[in-house]
Amino acid sequence: MEETIPKKLNDEGSAGIVETLYFTFAEPPEELVLSNGSKLGPVTIAYETYGALNHDKSNAILVFHALSGDAHAAGYNSPEDKKPGWWDIMIGPGKPFDTDKYFVICSNIIGGCKGSTGPSSINPATGKPYGLSFPIISIKDMIIPQKKLLDYLGIKTLFCITGGSVGGMLVLQWLVSYPDLSEGAMIIATSPNHTAQAIAFNSVGRYAIIKDPNWNNGDYYEGEKPDKGLSIARMIGHITYLSEESMRRKFGRKVIDGKLSLTDIADFTKEFEVENYLQYQGESFIKRFDANSYLYITKAIDDFDITEGFENLCDALKEIKAKCFVMSFTSDWLYPKEQSMKIVKALKINGIETTYTNFESPYGHDAFLIDDARLKRLFAGFLKSIKERI
Amino acid sequence: MKKLGIIKNWVKEGSKILFLGCGNGEIIKSFKSSNKIKGFGIDIDENKVYEAISNGLSVIQGDINSDLTDYPKKSFDYVIAHDIIQVMTKPDVTIRQILELSDKIIISFPNFAYIKIRLGILFSGRMPKTKILPYEWYRSPNIHLFTIKDFKDFCKKEDIQIVDQNFTGFNKKYVSKLFFPNLFSEFAYFLLKK
Repeated sequence: MEETIPKKLNDEGSAGIVETLYFTFAEPPEELVLSNGSKLGPVTIAYETYGALNHDKSNAILVFHALSGDAHAAGYNSPEDKKPGWWDIMIGPGKPFDTDKYFVICSNIIGGCKGSTGPSSINPATGKPYGLSFPIISIKDMIIPQKKLLDYLGIKTLFCITGGSVGGMLVLQWLVSYPDLSEGAMIIATSPNHTAQAIAFNSVGRYAIIKDPNWNNGDYYEGEKPDKGLSIARMIGHITYLSEESMRRKFGRKVIDGKLSLTDIADFTKEFEVENYLQYQGESFIKRFDANSYLYITKAIDDFDITEGFENLCDALKEIKAKCFVMSFTSDWLYPKEQSMKIVKALKINGIETTYTNFESPYGHDAFLIDDARLKRLFAGFLKSIKERI
Repeated sequence: MKKLGIIKNWVKEGSKILFLGCGNGEIIKSFKSSNKIKGFGIDIDENKVYEAISNGLSVIQGDINSDLTDYPKKSFDYVIAHDIIQVMTKPDVTIRQILELSDKIIISFPNFAYIKIRLGILFSGRMPKTKILPYEWYRSPNIHLFTIKDFKDFCKKEDIQIVDQNFTGFNKKYVSKLFFPNLFSEFAYFLLKK
């Protein structure tokens, strides 16, 4: 048995074996009313927790995942797992989100496909998957179930909330919806709203899915899935998460097997290593993600605008009570530093205690997922400063 | 010799203070422990900012030349510009901006009329290098060096009130405010208000 246990599981820093839990609410007739007025119920959310809640329930950290993430943020679900959770570098004993000190919670967003209610879930009214009958959801809607989960766990205020990319949007939305429910907030690699460029990339991804003949207006759960479309969408998305520098370092112009295929049969898809890599990313993504979820979530991201219903960004952020840590990455061209600086400026104008850095990293938008000792020290330092403030 | 103690004596306990060019935040930490202040910092150097944040300090990586206007008026009890004004692109603009941010500001700077500097230029004929101004002329961040007299002229012109002033020179020793401070002090400290 010993050798089947992944090496990392035995490491001191691992959260160990964790179980994904489920919480269901909004049973009809008390459905969840979404921001566009439509109703959804019952709503189930998948979540995991790491560490222990202290007696006064003041040590909880809520982690929001990014587009393709899930509730499994740290540790391993079974000893056979090859990889740990998506933010295992940050969560665990002795890590920045130190599970010896903090109670860390991560849940899958609604609209997703990793255990929370989404388009691939069974609609109790029909006994079939929702497909396109799933209501349009917003970033604002996504945080409501997370709040319900906290209520269920008996947690009134959070020590900190954190998340990168879409996770960062969820942090911003949480701060606006519940301005006094968290002592600290980490707003990482994100934006108050999507630029035309970011929408454009998402749009091409969605187009690839809906143009896949298997998509069938979202009704594909009993037959062939729109795998081609979804994998192309992931390939496009993945390019935006990397930087020119990181791709140059990793692949350059290297060709597969070290030689250009100067044969008489042209191969338009597999010549360069970067092509191989992207195709691998696409192919592995279709095994773990639902195409309709991709459509719904990217739509929610594109529609997100934290200033909606307010005069401007300053007005939107004015009620925030949390100490904020805004962070951008030098090589992130999907959410460049100017967008984080807009947030910093609005926080400063409102007199909110703010920390900001444009972190030097070659890894592009995904840099917050990369194991970097400097990054870990920043996270730990910020958490320490929240503690001093309380 | 720079003496933070002079500035600490001016700062009331528990104040909210913005430190310009706070570097790795050692200065904030020092004031926190001595004066129990609430300290905030801004610095342009990313590595120093990482260090400050890692030490649990509230620091923003930013450019003092352009980012000070983001803060609301009178949002601090003091703004401290310790050994930084001479580095600014437009020191006059920065000073006017920080006067908006707090009732009292503290500016400390190396006095370019210090006798050792004067003699240095006089006898060596080269740009002076001292412990406080150690840079080669082509590497110096100190692009706007000035003297105590220059600064007082500026305050007069801008109608800035000097609440208190102090001087140090010749290794730590205080220099009398009455005995030619512009000649004998290496470093000057001003508590100002508009």
